[in-house]
Amino acid sequence: MSIKLGFTKSSIAFAVALLSLNMTVQAGAVYDYIKTNNELMIATDANWAPYSYINDAGEMEGFDVDVGREIAKRMGVEARFITPSWDIITSGNWNMRWDVSVGSMTPTETRSEVLNFPAVYYYTPAGFAVHTDSPITTLAGLNGKNVCTTAASTWEMYLEGSLDMIDAPAFTYKVTPGTITSLADGHTCLDDTRLGAGVRNDGIIDSIPMIQGAIEDGYPIRFLGDPAFFEPLSVATDKGNDDPELDAEIARIIADMKKDYTLTMMSMKWFKNADGSSNDYTIAF
Amino acid sequence: MFVDTVIEDKSLHKPAFLLGLSIAVFAFFFAFNFTDTIFGEFLSPVIGNPQESGFFGRFVVSFVLSIIFVLNLLLISFTRLKIQILIVWIELFFLFLAFAYSFDLELAYIFIGEPSKIWLMISKGLFTTIYISAVSIAIATAIAIVGAIAKLSNNGFAYAIASFYTSLFRGLPLLLQIYLIYMGLPQLGFMIDAIPSGIAALSLCYGAYMTEIFRAGIQSIPKGQWEASRALGFKFGLILRKIILPQSIPIIVPPTGNQFIAMLKDSSLVSVLGIWELMFMAKKIGAKDFNNLEMLLTAAMIYWALTIVLEVIQARIERKYQQKA
Repeated sequence: MSIKLGFTKSSIAFAVALLSLNMTVQAGAVYDYIKTNNELMIATDANWAPYSYINDAGEMEGFDVDVGREIAKRMGVEARFITPSWDIITSGNWNMRWDVSVGSMTPTETRSEVLNFPAVYYYTPAGFAVHTDSPITTLAGLNGKNVCTTAASTWEMYLEGSLDMIDAPAFTYKVTPGTITSLADGHTCLDDTRLGAGVRNDGIIDSIPMIQGAIEDGYPIRFLGDPAFFEPLSVATDKGNDDPELDAEIARIIADMKKDYTLTMMSMKWFKNADGSSNDYTIAF
Repeated sequence: MFVDTVIEDKSLHKPAFLLGLSIAVFAFFFAFNFTDTIFGEFLSPVIGNPQESGFFGRFVVSFVLSIIFVLNLLLISFTRLKIQILIVWIELFFLFLAFAYSFDLELAYIFIGEPSKIWLMISKGLFTTIYISAVSIAIATAIAIVGAIAKLSNNGFAYAIASFYTSLFRGLPLLLQIYLIYMGLPQLGFMIDAIPSGIAALSLCYGAYMTEIFRAGIQSIPKGQWEASRALGFKFGLILRKIILPQSIPIIVPPTGNQFIAMLKDSSLVSVLGIWELMFMAKKIGAKDFNNLEMLLTAAMIYWALTIVLEVIQARIERKYQQKA
């Protein structure tokens, strides 16, 4: 059985459609685009309390969200948040889907091949944690063990011994894990650790405020040793759509926010210790 | 199984079978010691402290449980078929609930807060999920019809394009297609946002599967139908619309319904693009308070309810065409 069909008309339409795909995105001029649209599109994580997360009302909230809003405010435009997964943000080539990332990204040599880092806005300590029942008591105890962390994160690079941070405070590699379990969502690591010492992993590395939050929420985990390293965290823009004007504007706004202590206030608001005291993470230790 | 009018005795009503079943069930309960569970508590007037009851306690608990189980089966077997089905459904559902309950979760978390977490999921996530699935289903069906006709045509280009398409999109994982469309197309200078790329990936992938279903459905209609229609002087479109498709639809409907259900669930994959749909909300809402499993369970129940709706619709359509045939 066969069916006959003339495909001449449709193949012409197809060719026309292919040609119309060939339009290119305007390079540069991102800042003009933001101004004309009156909207700053900010990419950030939706699952990373207290930096950025969805609150009880179903809206974005957190330190990074506050910083992003403030940047937009000082540009005189509206802030809009978009929540792609972390590896999509760090891989660059945003094609103007969003304008900046205010998502606590650490500038590294590798990332700077696809992204620009106009301004470091704070520093955060990264630390190790283990299950409360774990026999491990020192950082060296994690050597050769299974350590869990977020994929494509600086913590993963630290575990691999390939952390190439730019302008970062000096640090040393204190742990050489036997296995690195990299999960798309660092939260899953915490849930795995909760199952027991050595069940799915022997320990985790994450930002200290994040671990702190889990401990306060009753997770059976404890910190291990001192902070592993302090990472500078920066606003990022797309190298593919290089716009020096936008980068300069962001650098100026962040410098102002440091000068008038806006950033310090935000840090004190979001980063609290167990005893109720606050942390000013705008200064590196 | 047999579609005839011969009625055999129910095996449950044969004493030998009943005895064998009872022994098997008893052995099962005995092997998986239920003494430490709620059943042991319940029987404590007979066996004393469940922890110290030992072999005797284990025996009594297993015995009582197996009697309850077999009696339950026996009682159900005396009711009418529809009631049997209903009772078994309800019992299985409660077993599932008990299973979820045994996770020892903070289930109240789902309903606390203003707005409550479950409402947050429904109001922010459910609509997007339904919207993405519905649009993708519509586009995939359109693609499938065109694809099936192209695959059946004797035009070399049409056949080559259609078979290349089905081969490619059935051959790649859906998650990979989503990434390719979202990250790849902009490299060609064609900007496409998260939701359209999700819809494109779902439509193309399921369009490819459904092309094959439609093709097989159309092919299953005997050649004579085409020849007869043509002999009567009908045009191609008319033959397809009025003679071939109506006959192939009863064959196409069950597998297509399956595809719709699968697509509804696979729409959760687009959450990687940061679209605020059900799966995304499930993963992120509970995270702040470290109550992930509660929200995942909620999402599971919502997906299930949605697919039940689709199943009912599919069953209705099937019944309609069966009556006609």
